[in-house]
This record gives sequence, C-alpha cells and structure tokens, in this order.
Amino acid sequence: MNQVSITVNGKKHEREVSSRMLLVHFLRDVLQLTGTHIGCDTSSCGACTVLLDGKAVKACTFLAVQADGRQVTTIEGLSDGNGSLHPLQEAFNECHGLQCGFCTPGMIMMASDLLARNASPSEGEIRHALEGNFCRCTGYHNIVRSVQHAAEKIQSNA
Amino acid sequence: MSKYIGESVKRVEDKRFTTGKGRYTDDIVLPGMTYAYILRSPHAHARINSIDTAKAKNMDGVVAIFTGKDIANAEINGVPCGWQVDFKNGDTMHEPPHPLLVADKARHVGDGIAIVIAEDRYIARDAADEIEVDYEILDAVVSPEKAAAADAPRVHDELPNNMAFDWSLGNPIDEVDAAIESAHHVTSLDFVNQRLVANAIEPRSAIGHYDTTNDHYTLYTSSQNPHLIRLLMCAFVLNLPEHKVRVVSPDVGGGFGSKIFHYTEEALVTWCSGQIKRPVKWTAERSESFVTDAHGRDHVTKADMAFDQDGKITALRVKTYAGMGAYLSTFAPAVPTYLHGTLLQGLYTTPLINVDVVATFTNTVAVDAYRGAGRPEATYLLERLVENGAHEMGIDPAELRFKNFIPAFDGVDQPGYQTQVALQYDSGNYEEVLKKALEMVGYDDLRAQQKNASERRTL
Repeated sequence: MNQVSITVNGKKHEREVSSRMLLVHFLRDVLQLTGTHIGCDTSSCGACTVLLDGKAVKACTFLAVQADGRQVTTIEGLSDGNGSLHPLQEAFNECHGLQCGFCTPGMIMMASDLLARNASPSEGEIRHALEGNFCRCTGYHNIVRSVQHAAEKIQSNA
Repeated sequence: MSKYIGESVKRVEDKRFTTGKGRYTDDIVLPGMTYAYILRSPHAHARINSIDTAKAKNMDGVVAIFTGKDIANAEINGVPCGWQVDFKNGDTMHEPPHPLLVADKARHVGDGIAIVIAEDRYIARDAADEIEVDYEILDAVVSPEKAAAADAPRVHDELPNNMAFDWSLGNPIDEVDAAIESAHHVTSLDFVNQRLVANAIEPRSAIGHYDTTNDHYTLYTSSQNPHLIRLLMCAFVLNLPEHKVRVVSPDVGGGFGSKIFHYTEEALVTWCSGQIKRPVKWTAERSESFVTDAHGRDHVTKADMAFDQDGKITALRVKTYAGMGAYLSTFAPAVPTYLHGTLLQGLYTTPLINVDVVATFTNTVAVDAYRGAGRPEATYLLERLVENGAHEMGIDPAELRFKNFIPAFDGVDQPGYQTQVALQYDSGNYEEVLKKALEMVGYDDLRAQQKNASERRTL
C-alpha cells in the first residue's frame, strides 16, 4: 500500500492505495466521483478523461500513485459549484451534443483541455483534439458544434 | 400545429449528464456490496473435465465462488428464448438450455465457467486467475452454412446438423423456381452479412440485491427492457413471484438493441445475492463485452431475381443460412424470419417471392436484434439485386425502379397493398419520393458527370 495525497477538484485527499489501483477506480470507487466513466479499459474511448495538472489524461490507464502530489479535475469540478454551468456544459445542451451521456464527461474534459490551449479552434482542430474520444450514439457533428459554440461563449465573456 | 415544431427543444436530462451526475448501473454502490468477476472460456468449444476452485476460495477477500455445477445442483434454469419459430414440418424449434454458467462444455469464447465474488474488483479478478479448469478442446464450427453439414461438430451434443429451425414464407417454391428458370434475365448474388458487435459505450452491468428482511430482490441492470427481463427472469429462470422482484434500469449508456435481451449475468448476480445475502455487482470489461453482448446479423444468403424483357421483376428467391450463435438469445429467431422475410417485397410489385431460412447453432456468441434487425439485411439484398440487375441489363437503375414500383396508394380510398410475404402496407407513393430525390441530387447531371469521369478514367 502507498500513501498518496491527491488534490481532486480543489480538495486534498490523503489515502492509502495499492500500487496497481487505477486513477479511475480511485475517483469512482474511493472518492465516489462517478462522473468519470469507464468505457473500454484501454484508453481507446476517452470516457474516463480527466485533467491532471490541467492536461487531459485517460484515467483508466493511469495509476493513482502517479497522481500523488498532483491536481486532478473531473467533470464534477469543472463548473464553479455555485449552480452555474461551465460554457462547455451549457453548449453541449444547447447544441444537442449528447444523447446517452456516457461519453459526455470525457468529451467535455478533453474539450476543456483544447480550449485552454487554443481559445478559437477550427473545426479541424476540434476534430483532431477529440479523436481519442468515442461517441457510439454517433453525435460527432453536434459535439464539434458544441465545442465551437462554447469557444464563442468564452470569448464573448472575456 | 405545436409549439415544438420548428423550435429547438432542450433536453431535460442533459444537466445531470454534463455535470457528472448521471446514474449508470456501475455508479451505484450499495451497503455491503461485493464485486463479481466471471471466469469465461477462452475456447470456442471445449469439454470441461474439471474445475478446481480450492486455491481461489482461500484467498483473502474472496466471499464465494460458484461454478456451473453449483447452478445445475440448485436446479436453476437457463435464460429462455422468447420467440418460437417451429420447423417447416411442424416440429418444435430446438431450444437447448442456455445455463447461467456451463457445467459440461463451453460452446463459445466467453461462455461463463465460474463466478468469483469478492470484497473488491481487483481481488475478484486475482482469484479468477487461480481457478484451474481442465478443458478438452473440441473442433468448432463458426460458419452458419457449414454448421448444417452432417459431419459438422455439434454445438449441442443432442442436435445433429446444428439446426435450430427452418422456415419459409411466400409463394410455393416450385412456382418461384419455374418463373426463374423461364425468365428473360436472372440476377444472382451471394451475400455475407457479417456478424458484428453492438459495442454500446457503457459496458453491461448488473447488481443483484437480496433484501433478507423482506425476502425481496432488486436487480439493477443496464437494460433497454427491464419489464420483460423481470418476467423472463422470475418465471423462467429463478422461479420467483414477480412481486418479490424489482428490476431497475437507471441511466443507460447506449444499447442499439444489445441491451434488450435477458442475459445470464442478470439472473446470476440476482441468485448469487440471495446465496451470500449481500449485494453483488458485475460490470463487463470491454473485451468481455465483445464475447458476451449479443451480436448482430450473421446471414449467409444466396438470392436470385428474375426479370422479363421489359425489366419487370417476375420472381425473387432468397435462401438464407442464419447463424444463431451457440444459444438462442431472447428474440433471435424473429430476426431472420419475421423481421427479414416479411421485408422482401420491398417497394416492388414482384408477383412471386419465396424466402427460405435455415437457422443453425455455431460456436459463436449468440446473435439477436441489432439496429433494424433483419430488415436492413433484407433491404440491402433486395436493392443490390435491383441495382445489379439494372447494370446487367443496361437499364438505368432509377428507371428500373420506376418500372417496378407499387403504384401509389393512400390506404384510405385505395386499399392497403397486400405483399406476397404476409405484410400489408398501409400507404405509399414511392414513385413521387424517388422523383423528388432524383431532382434534389440533380440525377441526370450526376450520371453525366459519372460517365464523363469514367471515360477520363478519373472515377
């Protein structure tokens, strides 16, 4: 067992975890943050995408011990917690960027990584950034529109 | 007409999904919950000589292990098929048992051998690695057509030729054969509509929860069909009164048909929960989904379409070998028959149609309804035949369709259209629809461009 200190959504968690525990199981089973999903176990589908020190990682193939001393942001921590939504969360609703919702947290976290790097991405850049995230309801067009719409919202608020 | 027509209607469920507050089956944690891992056959066809669970049972954190023998000893039935299609000669459909865990032999890669229940997911998986299974590997058959051969390996020892049923629909075969033999032109095609995996992004998951105080079960399952699953599981598998069982289907991460059916794991976690008096959660890994979620399609078809000198379709003959997989899933027999054969009139006035289906067991995952279920297979083969027929006869494919369309009928002043394959259509105006589509794409220009490009060899 290993002692780890992982800050998740701004809150520090000190826990004992086994060396092999996956970050996604730490989030889901230990902290009960079930917004981060497991779709494929192999970093193919991106449903488990979270931010680690601000950069997107796939939590299903990342060990909890690797996150020791670092900052993790999950879908639950994306908005300010005061009831208002992040522009990406609003935009996915407004542009019908989801159907079953299972891929959505991963899509939104990946898109937030993109928008932090590139405030005004082209359609091609959005598609490239989301290439590691699968939507099986085949909603890619509206997902891309959602990200574009969120970028516009963020820019107009800036 | 309505305030919704032409307006953007916001979905009410999005807020929970975009904020991580969705509640899918694997998100649910119950007090005292245990985690199950199912040891599965790595072989397509193998006799189980013995299973040794002693070492696994002694591991720290392992709560219980059950094998196919335990299930058989408890006299628990397999999951039932819900759609019976009898043989042409009146014999009853062959529905071999689909046990929750197999005791005698594995019939496909992924067939359940043992369930390990432990305090956490990791221990359950570790313990499964310590179970020793002595397999005798047998020859397997995977082709729906080859499975019907007299010398094919038997998926179920008691079933020669691996036949589940055979079935036909439409006009007498000798009339159809005669029309094809005397036709001006016959287009023949072989089709392999390959099996596929639905791959919903949320893996299947199920939690069985036995409430000892009230002698009541709750099954949480990632399902499109909780009501029917309660009926099937209670009445046919676990022999429980329905008022003692609640089936909850919370948020579901896609299904495309594959989550309509009653699966062995649902009854297994429910039964196990009653045995250990604690909740039992099982969630498929992705590689497990590939070999346990019902597959789709798996039709091998030979079809012939006959035309007269004017390009009118005079007959259609379809012979399909439909692979059922190793067991009959809930609605599987309906797919190549009532959902496939009945679609073969298509949009055309074909006066003679015969469809003949042979459904066989193979050493593969059971198939069932997936996106359209039989109807896309029928439409695909029909339109391929029309398209190929047009090319072979040198007729424009659109023109050939206009020649053969059922004339417009509104189903009010004119009666519905009675097909040769049981269905009666309510109304239709196929000619106008195709005309409009051709206008919209600029069909004549498109064909001219195609011809031009073909001559310049750029297409």
